[in-house]
Amino acid sequence: MAEDLGTGAENTWCPGCGNFGMLNSMKKVVEKLEDKDIGREKILISAGIGCHAKIFDYLNLSGLYSIHGREIATIQGMKLANPDLKVIGFGGDGDAYGEGLSHLIFAAKRNADITMIVHNNSSYSLTTGQMSPTSERGYKGPSTPEGSIEPPLNPLMVLLSAGASFVGRGYAGKLDHLSNLIVEAVEHEGFSLVDVLQPCVVFHDDQYEKYNEAVDIIEESAETRYEAMELAEETERLPIGVFYKEEQPVYHQELYTDLNVVEDKMDKDVRIDKVKKLIDKRR
Amino acid sequence: MNDIFTYIIGGKAGEGVKKAGDAASNLFSRIGRKTFEMDDYQSLIRGGHNFSVVSTSKDDIYSHYMKADLIVNLDDKSYELHKNHLSDGGLMIYNSDETENGEGVGLPLDEISENYSKSDLIKGVTGISVLSSVMDLKKDELEEIIEKEYSRGVEENLSFAEEIFDLVEKKIDKSFKLEKGDDESPIFSGNEALSLGAASAGLDMYIGYPMTPASSILHFFASNKKELQVMPIHPENEISVANIAVGATMPGARVMVGSSGGGLALMEETISLAGMAESPVLFVLSSRPGPSTGVPTYTEQGDLEFALNQGHGEFPLIVASPGSIEESFFLAGKMLDLVWKYQTPGIFLTEKHLSESSMNIDIDPSKVRWAEPKEFDAEGEYKRYEMTDDGISPLKFPPSEDVIKWNSYENNEKGITTEKPEWVEAMHDKRREKNEKMILDMKEKDTVNEFGDSGPTIFTYGSTTMSVLEALKAGDIDGKVVQPKFLKPFPIWEFEDYMEEDVIVVEQSSTGQFASMLREKCSIVPKNVIRKYDGRPFEPLKLAEKIKEAI
Repeated sequence: MAEDLGTGAENTWCPGCGNFGMLNSMKKVVEKLEDKDIGREKILISAGIGCHAKIFDYLNLSGLYSIHGREIATIQGMKLANPDLKVIGFGGDGDAYGEGLSHLIFAAKRNADITMIVHNNSSYSLTTGQMSPTSERGYKGPSTPEGSIEPPLNPLMVLLSAGASFVGRGYAGKLDHLSNLIVEAVEHEGFSLVDVLQPCVVFHDDQYEKYNEAVDIIEESAETRYEAMELAEETERLPIGVFYKEEQPVYHQELYTDLNVVEDKMDKDVRIDKVKKLIDKRR
Repeated sequence: MNDIFTYIIGGKAGEGVKKAGDAASNLFSRIGRKTFEMDDYQSLIRGGHNFSVVSTSKDDIYSHYMKADLIVNLDDKSYELHKNHLSDGGLMIYNSDETENGEGVGLPLDEISENYSKSDLIKGVTGISVLSSVMDLKKDELEEIIEKEYSRGVEENLSFAEEIFDLVEKKIDKSFKLEKGDDESPIFSGNEALSLGAASAGLDMYIGYPMTPASSILHFFASNKKELQVMPIHPENEISVANIAVGATMPGARVMVGSSGGGLALMEETISLAGMAESPVLFVLSSRPGPSTGVPTYTEQGDLEFALNQGHGEFPLIVASPGSIEESFFLAGKMLDLVWKYQTPGIFLTEKHLSESSMNIDIDPSKVRWAEPKEFDAEGEYKRYEMTDDGISPLKFPPSEDVIKWNSYENNEKGITTEKPEWVEAMHDKRREKNEKMILDMKEKDTVNEFGDSGPTIFTYGSTTMSVLEALKAGDIDGKVVQPKFLKPFPIWEFEDYMEEDVIVVEQSSTGQFASMLREKCSIVPKNVIRKYDGRPFEPLKLAEKIKEAI
């Protein structure tokens, strides 16, 4: 089953890249969703630009390969056009937490029914390893040869503050856990963010080691947003799993009620008649 | 010409000036006359100076005039600004509580309005009360108008209107007899007209971030959401607007977005994405004077080159600009159809004067084509970017058993990213072929409007077309007006006859962008370029003088 989820496109990730774990997890995710009667034809994907985004070419799913940071808006458009579809966006840390951060915050704020999976490797790898929004202070890259002078952004804190209705963290080294987490995120009605610790073997030499040691599965998610923030603040131990989840009104349902503008599109004659009525009101 | 009657009402923001202009337009329209209304307002919420000018005629009228037969000034600033706009034999009304020793008839508007709960807003009702009196309407006719136009807080409005009406009857014996006409067409602004046109072509979503003078499109769809089911969406910024739009086209939604220059600049990255991914999004660019924040609530045609050159990289782009409010309706519908036909972005170029002025228009939604793309109906494997003779690949929409991949990277037929030289070249060819097909089709179509058939040739486009047509009428000038509706691809095949002619160009740009385009694209060397760039639209009588000088 998972075999035919490949496209035959040549894979150009570096050997040992954490993205392979992400790709394999995603194949499991599709299988698991299909077991739950969410067929792959109902899934649309998008990606930003960066190493993470190549997953678009390697996963045989429909979608739109977007531009840096904008995939968060792209998938919102897909969902608004046809709410029957499940939309999943892949972003990188530079992508979703830098260039596209405003889209991410606002998607969380309005509880857009989307799932964003962020391949967080704390560097701009495809563009030769510059510092990213989540790089640690002191990170050396071609734009910061003496070490980054900025502290890293804590994306989970940002999203929890923005009112996100689902915030989770996974690890590209724990495939089963990650795929279950993503399935739960996709099934969640409303906004979901899964930040994934995704080791980059070229620009960080210790990420696998560090994550293997520090990653700790949370069995139960936090009761409150504030408890979730406490989890997000932890640095020694790196909790993975669903940090926080709550039910909130969903954007497209509030906007449309039950309408699907593509599937239930008003017939031409009806629309023309409606326009004529608006014109006649002015006579 | 002689039957044109012009009315100006001016006052502070918050005194119901635009509403008063609209009420006057509706009154003239109700007696079968045609109207043109231009609203001049500043970028502020309360105070300042706003005015509306309404010109009306039994015949077609394409512009307001600045010589007015009746001027109603709600405050002193208005009186000072408009005292030179009164025509011979005109009537000037001023607020005697603010203006001392004014010429004309003073009414104590502050004193009267003080007794009402909305003492500022209610001042606007003065306009229609004065008009009703000097047009010799009966009091019950005024009551009927107030009930229709000022239904919110109608009791107070009726009382105020009657108080003004009685006062005017007592103080003024002048009357204007406006002949009835036989026109029954409704009044719409350009933004309303383009919205209705796009809706008639099957629009599903309108996405916008507020920016004058495009905001009223978003407001229009928001207020008509239930009836039209065109979903109004207001996201966090213009970048989000454009990308939500591209995303929505992939499952098949017909989408339009809109902004002014600054907002479109933010969308430009996505216009290029739409060119590559072949996403049919219609972008409305409603210009105001730039550069940068410029003069937010005024008009200019300074964004022509900006519109034509949108997006990095090479891809087919359609740019069109309507020459009237009526054409805004039909051209918006046509543009939605074209972007879907060729699967490429399009820009609908308009300006504040065209977006926000309003007039009687004759529109029929059943004459607009329903935007429908070429859809995949063949057997066999589906390929999103399949090579075809004309470069147009059939579309298929999710959910589908076939995998449908749209891509911002250069890609192969299946939409998978590629850097292979043969694919890079082939896909460039494909997009260029679409452009060639588009030009071929356009040669068979109506792309240029021509008005009149004798006299010197005047080239113009956009809202300036309306100004030129009215100026020729006002100045009794013989002229042939040539107005391209399509600016990209530019219909140069229509202009070969003009290469040797002494043409005049009229445009609202300080550098003469349209004239440059005629020179560069068609080797037409204009004898004279009439330019205006003070943020205000041309006034027909003044423009007529300029045209006469240019001839």
